[in-house]
Amino acid sequence: MTSKAIEELKRRRQGEFKKKNSQIPYAVIVTAISLIIYTICIKLNHHSTFWMIGLLFGITLQRSRFCFAASFRDPILVGSTAILKAILIALIVSTIGFTIVEYASIGDAGELDKIRTLGQVYPVGLHTVIGAIMFGIGMVIAGGCASGFLMRIGEGFLLQVVVLFGFLMGALVGTWQFEFWDKILISKAPTVFFPDYVDFPIATIVQVIVLVALYYVADWYDKKNNIMVM
Amino acid sequence: MAEVRLDCMYEACPIPLLKAHKKLQQMEIGDVLILETDHNCSIKNVVDWVKKQGHNVDYIELNEGEWEIYIEKAK
Repeated sequence: MTSKAIEELKRRRQGEFKKKNSQIPYAVIVTAISLIIYTICIKLNHHSTFWMIGLLFGITLQRSRFCFAASFRDPILVGSTAILKAILIALIVSTIGFTIVEYASIGDAGELDKIRTLGQVYPVGLHTVIGAIMFGIGMVIAGGCASGFLMRIGEGFLLQVVVLFGFLMGALVGTWQFEFWDKILISKAPTVFFPDYVDFPIATIVQVIVLVALYYVADWYDKKNNIMVM
Repeated sequence: MAEVRLDCMYEACPIPLLKAHKKLQQMEIGDVLILETDHNCSIKNVVDWVKKQGHNVDYIELNEGEWEIYIEKAK
């Protein structure tokens, strides 16, 4: 939605700011260098494949302006669930995608233990709550989660270089303190894995149904709430 | 028709949105708010919010990583 006044202002400002220099040559050079590093390192081990996937993730995040921090903060702070709905769609897609990958890789649907090792299933308990609250507070103060701030450093948002130091320190303290948490909470917490109780396809379908329901709740909340109305 | 400039450089999300909200409350109908930002999250969440509230909005990228969002108070 735009108007005459805005169109005029845009034209005026665009005239004042001629783009000084194109960034495209740098992009071509960096892409070429990363492809060279990839082809050299792929002969040693598989890690460079993960690096490539990471780079593609970064490009997707930057172009889509996707932000996990905003998705969980905006519903409460400004009453908008547009990004939360995007996250829910991403979860639906990945639930279906993971099911396909897991089925394809084990071949036989009966071997749940193999799925368990493949799909990193961890214990859930009080430590999840404590960790989530700590991460949530940090994420909102820092203005982005782990993926978001790394992407913005690349984009040139200077504030988030400070966040990088905090992130490194936090990761260090987390690793250092892990044994403590493991002893008092994590080792005692149960590991919940739905396919242990129901069939794997049913677990997938139920999870998708719950996510779709959450999507509609988010949509309803977006229209219904009157936080920050102008 | 006044033009109001709002400097949100180096401000992380959601500060630009909160500042814009505060400023828009003081403005008259037809006034244009120019919000300068270098946080790409603002493009998404300020623009979405303004659209939802029914005002006119658009943005341009002046330099790489520097945007101006134009908001016209419509009601």
